[in-house]
Amino acid sequence: MLNNDSGYIKKELPAKVGTIGLVFLAAGIVFGTLGFITDPQRAAMSYLPAFMFLVSIGIGSLFLVAIEYLAGADWSVPFRRIAEFLSSLLPLLIILVIPLLLNMKNLFSWTHIELVSNDPILQGKAPFLNSVFFITRVFVILLIWTAFYLKFIMNSRKQDVTGDQALTKNSIVFSGIFMPVFAFTITLTAVDWLMSLEPRWFSTIFGVYFFSGAVWSSLAAVTFIAIKLKENGYLHPKVNSDHYYSLGTLLFAFTVFWAYIAFCQYMLIWYADLPEETFWFMHRWTGGWSFLSLAVIVTHFIVPFGALLSFPSKTNPARLKFIAIWILVAHYIDLYWLIMPSFYGEGRVYTFSWLDIVFPIGAAGLIIVVFNRGVKLHNLIPLRDPKLQKGLDFRL
Amino acid sequence: MDIDYSKELVQVEGNPPLAELDRVISLPLDQKPNKNFLIAISITSTMLLIGVICVGLTFYYGIGMWGNNQPVGWAFGIINFVFWVGIGHAGTLISAILFLLRQKWRTGIARFAEAMTIFAVICAGLFPIIHTGRPWLAGYLIPYPNDHGLWVNFNSPLVWDVFAVSTYFTVSLVFWYVGLIPDFATLRDRTTDKIKKTLYSIFSMGWRHSNRHWQHYEKAYMILAGLATPLVLSVHTVVSFDFATAVVPGWHTTIFPPYFVAGAIFSGFAMVVTCLVFLRKVFHIEHIITMNHLDNMNKIVLATSMMVGYGYSMELFMAWYSGNHFEQFVFLNRAFGPYAWAYWTMISCNVLIPQLFWIRKIRRSIPVMLFIVVFVNVGMWFERFVIIVTSLHRDFLPSSWRMYTPTLVDLGILLGSFGLFFTLILLFTRTLPVVSMAEVKAVIHGAQPSHDGSNHIQQIGGE
Repeated sequence: MLNNDSGYIKKELPAKVGTIGLVFLAAGIVFGTLGFITDPQRAAMSYLPAFMFLVSIGIGSLFLVAIEYLAGADWSVPFRRIAEFLSSLLPLLIILVIPLLLNMKNLFSWTHIELVSNDPILQGKAPFLNSVFFITRVFVILLIWTAFYLKFIMNSRKQDVTGDQALTKNSIVFSGIFMPVFAFTITLTAVDWLMSLEPRWFSTIFGVYFFSGAVWSSLAAVTFIAIKLKENGYLHPKVNSDHYYSLGTLLFAFTVFWAYIAFCQYMLIWYADLPEETFWFMHRWTGGWSFLSLAVIVTHFIVPFGALLSFPSKTNPARLKFIAIWILVAHYIDLYWLIMPSFYGEGRVYTFSWLDIVFPIGAAGLIIVVFNRGVKLHNLIPLRDPKLQKGLDFRL
Repeated sequence: MDIDYSKELVQVEGNPPLAELDRVISLPLDQKPNKNFLIAISITSTMLLIGVICVGLTFYYGIGMWGNNQPVGWAFGIINFVFWVGIGHAGTLISAILFLLRQKWRTGIARFAEAMTIFAVICAGLFPIIHTGRPWLAGYLIPYPNDHGLWVNFNSPLVWDVFAVSTYFTVSLVFWYVGLIPDFATLRDRTTDKIKKTLYSIFSMGWRHSNRHWQHYEKAYMILAGLATPLVLSVHTVVSFDFATAVVPGWHTTIFPPYFVAGAIFSGFAMVVTCLVFLRKVFHIEHIITMNHLDNMNKIVLATSMMVGYGYSMELFMAWYSGNHFEQFVFLNRAFGPYAWAYWTMISCNVLIPQLFWIRKIRRSIPVMLFIVVFVNVGMWFERFVIIVTSLHRDFLPSSWRMYTPTLVDLGILLGSFGLFFTLILLFTRTLPVVSMAEVKAVIHGAQPSHDGSNHIQQIGGE
């Protein structure tokens, strides 16, 4: 027996969704592989932002699941499955990371022994930045994430059958444990994959910076999917604009939070003007990169901030959908901005590569495929979650 | 204990009638102060008096009365400033951010926490003025066109502080006052005393509890909450800029802004818990400020403790990772140098001891939580001591390394700031309702339509 007035009927997404996803993914795989064969270095460079994008969506979604349990939120319960399905990217990352690990020499200058041995600073970092420890870290982190993912998912799925409240309690306990682990691992991920691309640079806030962007983009993905599903009658009929409003407000909050973190990082480095820190921003301001730097400010902050400020844009599904997609693109631009300028400078000139388009398409395809599979196999809302009725009845 | 997650949490225990709530909350305002109150206020005002004398000595003889030296040019004055600004943050977090996050449990504690914010900011604001040594020139901190052609240095974070703290104080005060208006009206309607009636009438600004009034009120409250929210972040961010914009190793690090904000909320919540534990007991409002409230606050203390711990570990890790010798030295010096005792006090009070809050029994045990939150307050004071003094006392020039020892005047002013804070708190508890009557009524069982639709009728019928 269900403990809510369920208007939910399980049905599969239209076949064309799966087809689109598969086509995108196949294009990504085929052309990506081609890229790795013809120009492994450029391919690795282009693949890294796509990989980090999937990391953002995967772990950011798992964070959304955990924070809902921990904060005791009920309005978001009807959407929790969306985040759960998106976080099923996490186990796949263990496979997706392999092309990068095979190309570490092409990405990380600290893997070049002769370079490190001539540089006392890099030598000092060698206990942390060395291939063995790096690869170990990467796999341990991905396995920890997968373990937490499986725990949350299994609890949630089991509850669909049993309706047992002890499962909710168990998930709350695990969310508590997850939070510090999450903070620690996402920081290491940011340092490993993004900061160490320019191994001399350091910034203590960097982990928080990546965190803010990751959660922001995951929220955008959940928002977009939720509206799309609702419009096509997949979600519960009781989900309404008050729910959208809450999603929109959270998106707005994270827009501002990201800007706050980004501003603090930039302002403090600019003000102190120490050459060991400023060069990182100089790499992103010279050699034509200034346009991308400005684009990050505009797309990542100014436009979403202005767009989400008003009440109608948080409740109007069409507008919110547009902003959500905008945010996903902006996060990709941000990752590109973090990663790509690291490889240029010192005389090497940037040229655009078709691979920069191929990999994001593949990543989008993968997200669609993973989500479609989730909908096929499981219920789209946590049917017997004790908080579901409260969540559905949510009004501002 | 088993919780039914499908049910709403009870905010006010025992389901008291609305009139009874009014009576309980405004009771301290109707009675003459008792002996305990007089004892308490004589202690706090004595502390305040000691502080006033020490400030007087400072003004008469100059800052030389303090332990500050070269290279430790900033010490107690700035430590206390940052400490008190931090204490204030919990109030705004509870009243504004938790409001926007629709946390109903905030209603019971918001009024008191906001009052605490205002008093803490008053305490904080005094320190920079005292520290100038020439308080009569403090007017020049405000940029205005004057005959001398003197302007503040807009590039200096110290001036940003003036703007940030004064904005924060103004908005907090307005926010607090707006929240008080319906309560003033209730008090006005209850009281029989002529003088009180006049005063309450003035402050309630003609509030009639009409539907239209409430509509405007809700809108204004929401807007003020929206304005106050960025202020929670901005004030302590600007305070952290005082340090982080400098090139002093141990001060210049990019994580300072969010880490200072987390630390501020951490210490503020600890102070709120410290005060509320006594308040709910003395005023017999344990059914309004329930164990669930304390439990929730302790959870926030735990969460912010972890954020502060994250800040410490990032600082340590990056000091090593940066490969910068000066940075590395500062952190080794903090942990193993002459001030190691302060560093380890900070670590144990701020990171280790609050870990006890993982255990539900401890979160709900009054003596243990009191013990923990007092340690947190001590630890957060020491955090500022560690950041400021240990970074300065051994700077780039080893020949000028020097230890810092506070003088009696330093300690007297610190004591005096606690005296001022608690005197104001005590006066507040007897002049204004410590719990928002209007807001608590809105969260008692049956006040809002609930998803199971029960009890609404029952509640009305019961009155």
